[in-house]
Amino acid sequence: MTASAITQEGERDRLVVKLGQIDWTFCLFITGIAAAGALVLYSIAGGSWSPWAGRHLILFGVCFALMIGLALVDLRVWFALAYPIYGIGVLLLLAVAVIGHSTLGAQRWLDIGPIRLQPSEIIKVGLVLALARFYHSLSARNARLSWWLLIPAAMIGLPAAIVAHQPDLGTAILIAATGGLIMIMAGLSLRVVGAGLLALVAIVPPMFMFVLKAYQRARLLTFLNPEADRTGSGYHIIQSKIALGSGGLLGKGFGLGTQSQLNFLPEKSTDFIFSSMAEEFGFVGCAVILALYAGVIFMALRMASIAHSHFGRLSAAGVTATFALCVMINGAMVMGLAPVVGVPMPLLSYGGTVMITMMVGFALVLSVRVHRYSEVTRGGGAIL
Amino acid sequence: MIEPSIFMDEVNERQGTFQRRAFLLGGGFGVGLIALGGRLAHLQLLDANRYKKLSEHNQFQFLLTPPPRGLILDRNGVVLASNRPDFRLLLAKDDHVDIDATLANLTTLVPMDEARLRRLRADIDAAPRKAPVALVEDMTWEEFSRINVRAPELPGVTADMGEVRVYPYAGAFAHVIGYVAKVSAKDVTKTGPNAEPILLNPGFRIGKQGVEKAFDLQLRGTAGARKVEVDVKGRVVRHDPAGDIAAIPGAPIQLTLDADIQNRGLEIFGEDSGAAVMMDCRSGDILCLLSAPSFDANRFVKGLTSVEYQALSGYDRKPLYDKALSATYPPGSTFKTMVSLAALESGVDPELKRVCHGSWPYGGRIWHCDKVHGAVNMHDAIKTSCDIYFYQTALAVGPDKIAAMARQFGLGELFDIGIPGQRPGLVPDPEYKRRHFPKDPVWHGGETPSFGIGQGYLNLNALQLCVMCARLANGATALQPRLIHSIGGVVQPSGAQAPALPVAKAHLALVRAAMASVVNDPGGTAYTNVNSRLNLGPIKMAGKTGTAQAHSYGAGSRNTANLAWSLKDHAWFIAFAPYDDPRYAVSVLVEHGGFGAAAAAPKAAELLRVALLKDADIRARITAPPPPPTPVVAEKPAPVSAT
Repeated sequence: MTASAITQEGERDRLVVKLGQIDWTFCLFITGIAAAGALVLYSIAGGSWSPWAGRHLILFGVCFALMIGLALVDLRVWFALAYPIYGIGVLLLLAVAVIGHSTLGAQRWLDIGPIRLQPSEIIKVGLVLALARFYHSLSARNARLSWWLLIPAAMIGLPAAIVAHQPDLGTAILIAATGGLIMIMAGLSLRVVGAGLLALVAIVPPMFMFVLKAYQRARLLTFLNPEADRTGSGYHIIQSKIALGSGGLLGKGFGLGTQSQLNFLPEKSTDFIFSSMAEEFGFVGCAVILALYAGVIFMALRMASIAHSHFGRLSAAGVTATFALCVMINGAMVMGLAPVVGVPMPLLSYGGTVMITMMVGFALVLSVRVHRYSEVTRGGGAIL
Repeated sequence: MIEPSIFMDEVNERQGTFQRRAFLLGGGFGVGLIALGGRLAHLQLLDANRYKKLSEHNQFQFLLTPPPRGLILDRNGVVLASNRPDFRLLLAKDDHVDIDATLANLTTLVPMDEARLRRLRADIDAAPRKAPVALVEDMTWEEFSRINVRAPELPGVTADMGEVRVYPYAGAFAHVIGYVAKVSAKDVTKTGPNAEPILLNPGFRIGKQGVEKAFDLQLRGTAGARKVEVDVKGRVVRHDPAGDIAAIPGAPIQLTLDADIQNRGLEIFGEDSGAAVMMDCRSGDILCLLSAPSFDANRFVKGLTSVEYQALSGYDRKPLYDKALSATYPPGSTFKTMVSLAALESGVDPELKRVCHGSWPYGGRIWHCDKVHGAVNMHDAIKTSCDIYFYQTALAVGPDKIAAMARQFGLGELFDIGIPGQRPGLVPDPEYKRRHFPKDPVWHGGETPSFGIGQGYLNLNALQLCVMCARLANGATALQPRLIHSIGGVVQPSGAQAPALPVAKAHLALVRAAMASVVNDPGGTAYTNVNSRLNLGPIKMAGKTGTAQAHSYGAGSRNTANLAWSLKDHAWFIAFAPYDDPRYAVSVLVEHGGFGAAAAAPKAAELLRVALLKDADIRARITAPPPPPTPVVAEKPAPVSAT
């Protein structure tokens, strides 16, 4: 259990040693965010554990236990399961596209008995694992610029396209951006990155005109000028900004947020929970939460960078990128800096599947730390 | 380094690249989070006040509270129109409320028939969106509490207490005060005071007639507001009493009317149809302005059913019609006072006697008188109401002078009394015929005798005749009638501030003396009927009867006893009292009442009695030992004999 124990092969596989290697400060930070989420959910339900706060806490507790459990799973198991998870994710996405349950005009769910499965969540973790595994076996030169890179590009493009087709633009952008960041961290030539960014700028106007659905176009236009449509699409942005701004420095106080309590704020428990919180706890409360998020992101990146295996580095960094992008996109959205896309605030927002995804992702990050000295066989799993 | 590596340099290169880029990525995320923090600071610190206002604008709404409508009082402060609490049910027109189901549930609590349900449905459909509709008004306390208990079964329905207008004397003031009723679509205007949102408030009433209509804005007051917290669907969550804005009650309006006189007037009319107007002949104040029979104004506040309306409008006594202001009649013999004054002013000797044989041929036809009066001077002609005398006198004076004199006394005039509904009637003259009868623009000689006895084109309303009588009695000024004493405490100008009456005092005295004989001397037209006298000891009244034809008799009998009601003559009586020191003037019209002396004079006497007995000076005179006579009219000793 000394610092050296983890470096000793044989010794480091002991459960106690592994538990000691879990970053408990990190766990404290994510628990803090989830608890803040429960507090806000309790308040906006008019001071009630139902319908959100209680279930939010229970789900977090279950997911936390799951995270600790999965953190102890050998990194080689993650490595071995990388492609299968990705493959299953893509297949489920295709299944949803064909037979999925249509909710709010978007085919995102798959009902398997009592479980409502959201394959786009599976693919978030699956893509990170699969890309990390692919790059684990790729030389630095090939990772910089080679025809091999068409493979990760396709691995990113396929699920992103299916998700965009659902249509879930927010998640599609999140998947594509996460994949892109993994490619960059794996060593993609910065010239290619620059060219890619230029291509993106060039492709946006035709995408906007011909690929996006009418409601997506409306949302984007509304984002640019929310006052033009006060009761329709612009309503979300206007009410969210009112909630945020009226919070002021110290907020209106616990249980006293009028925008959320009186339902002027839409989606107050999910996508716009940050606004609910900002209204009641003000700039001070927001700053604390943003600091917690920053702490989680930097701790996770630190865990990624100390891993000895390339798979471990890239997978932990990929999960961190997903998490950080979620925070950025949702934050920008509720503050009126980005269009309204369905990306929740991780850990804070109420919602089962997103929570599970993030906690599984954090389990991977913790596992990378716990097994940072482990050897990950290039090219195949030694255990499975 | 334990990590076994096949391509050590490669591994190191990959690791190095990753470390640098992860560091950059971390920096990028850091910048991103700081940007979010900056944006938050902008929204929450710099623009906080603006968003706080917007949030309050979302959170709070002001619900209008109707102001209490101003009271209407009589001259002594007796309340003629006030407000009482009204328990009622309101239905919020919400998209989520199944109105049919709610109404069906409601009928189990408050019995309602099909017709009422249909009307309610129409009301609900006609009401503007979001405006609550009054479902049931004027519930008893039992009904109110029963519904309050079962409120959960009636989604969208709220019980509340409003105010409703009440007229404690129901009918006596109905034509003067008018009534308030539901706001109809045509009452609401695009701009101005009738564009105020308070008009859409459930149960709000607007003045539709009389004082209520003419002074609606003053009586209405200014709406206040209750500050309430609402949710996104507009439902009230909380009430914030500190933020309430108090309603400003409507201004009270005091009338010059006297409730005692007016109420007694309605009583003595019974089912007789007609009008009575009384004025104070010193100030011009209207003490009584009555049209009979009347109707219960409170019914209009609730909303009249079509059956009720048909009953009222179908009754041949026309209770809805204001006979004091809107109806005009020929004044009959009461007009002889004007003919006499015109004659006196144009130099006719009052002692000139004309001979009455009961009939008189003129212009190719026979002109009748109701009696054979023999040779009569002006005094006796007025006293006995001799038609022959006035046929001839009118011819001697000519229509222009008579019409001019009539106008000096307010006949044919519209007075500024503050309420709508007056019709001017007509004082004809040759000029009038020239302008209005293009086919026959000539005043024929045969029209003047009719004019002389108050018939023909001459048509007047009861207020004008009262003003005429009051000016006669006052003798000095052309009094203006005043109905509105004060508005919100601001006293209106008195009717006594009027130009002088350009008629010689002696001439007026002569006519007044003759009018005194009408009532008090044997042979006077109103003498024989004991009910036509005041019977107040030393207090005497002076008057003039009038009987106006309601249809042409042609050559037939003028005995009206067997005629149908609607063919009988209209009975008039004008009077003032006390004769020696005039205070009150009255005009009474009884539609199809027959002879003025019999039908109208007793009513006028009773009204004067009520007014006189309320007057402390008069009461003192009645009870005091008789003082030495100090007649006001000294020029010609009045032939009044107290003994």
